[in-house]
Amino acid sequence: MASWQPDFEQLVDQHQAMVFSLAWRMTGDRGLAEEIAQDVFLEMDRHIGTLESPEHALYWLRRVTMSRSTDALRRRRVRGVDLWVEIADEHGAPAEERSSPLGARLEQLLATLPEPQRAALVLRYQEDLSPDEIAATLNAPLATVKSHLQRGLKLLRAKASSQLKEFIRGA
Amino acid sequence: MEPEPIDQFERELRQAFERRPAPPGLKRRILDARARRQTLRHQHRMVLWQRLAAAIVLAAVVGTGFAWRQHQQVRKGEEARREVRTALRVTQRALDKINARLSARNHTDQDQGDHE
Repeated sequence: MASWQPDFEQLVDQHQAMVFSLAWRMTGDRGLAEEIAQDVFLEMDRHIGTLESPEHALYWLRRVTMSRSTDALRRRRVRGVDLWVEIADEHGAPAEERSSPLGARLEQLLATLPEPQRAALVLRYQEDLSPDEIAATLNAPLATVKSHLQRGLKLLRAKASSQLKEFIRGA
Repeated sequence: MEPEPIDQFERELRQAFERRPAPPGLKRRILDARARRQTLRHQHRMVLWQRLAAAIVLAAVVGTGFAWRQHQQVRKGEEARREVRTALRVTQRALDKINARLSARNHTDQDQGDHE
């Protein structure tokens, strides 16, 4: 079987939306998310020879994006900068990037969750990953991930049921 | 009936958390940054090679200088030895001549003593 030859441009084309969305939902800062996406792809370029398959590339990108986003959040916390300002106010974003009113409100609520729960929920509902895959991506024990998912979802539901009654029927 | 609301809520979450399109120009910026980095890396590599080449040339110059100096010293040593040998030969010849004259004189003196 011929070995996979990764094409950098093609990988950027395929995964830029995924990387950018993960970074934005994790940091809440559009500019920072772009910087993270750029860093992640440049990092991938350095390690492109180690990528074995398209699945491995996708897994690698998710993992590095989550790790870079967490690092960025930590750096911002150290500097005392308040994140999650932009995601609530999307006026700066082009029309095609704006989410639906419900989406925007849910993202606002997501922003209020603790970071590990947010990471687990973003991977679960944006990337449709199983708890096992989330555990592998975040390099965390499966039980911890399940707990974060359960608690995060419960918290988000509680917040949604009190704040988004007009949008969500089942919350 | 309890799981139904959760499923509905999760469906809403899935819809709300769909991937956002990447900002226009992100790919261009990534490719530009990559090109810049590759140029920088190429320049760094060139500088490294230039430094290596300069180090090799310097080492060759120093080595050649050292070898030339060694060669000169050996040559001078050989020359000095040849001169000393020549001097010794000349001295030896002079001593031989003196010795021959002294021997001849001794024979002459001995012959005269026998006649007397």
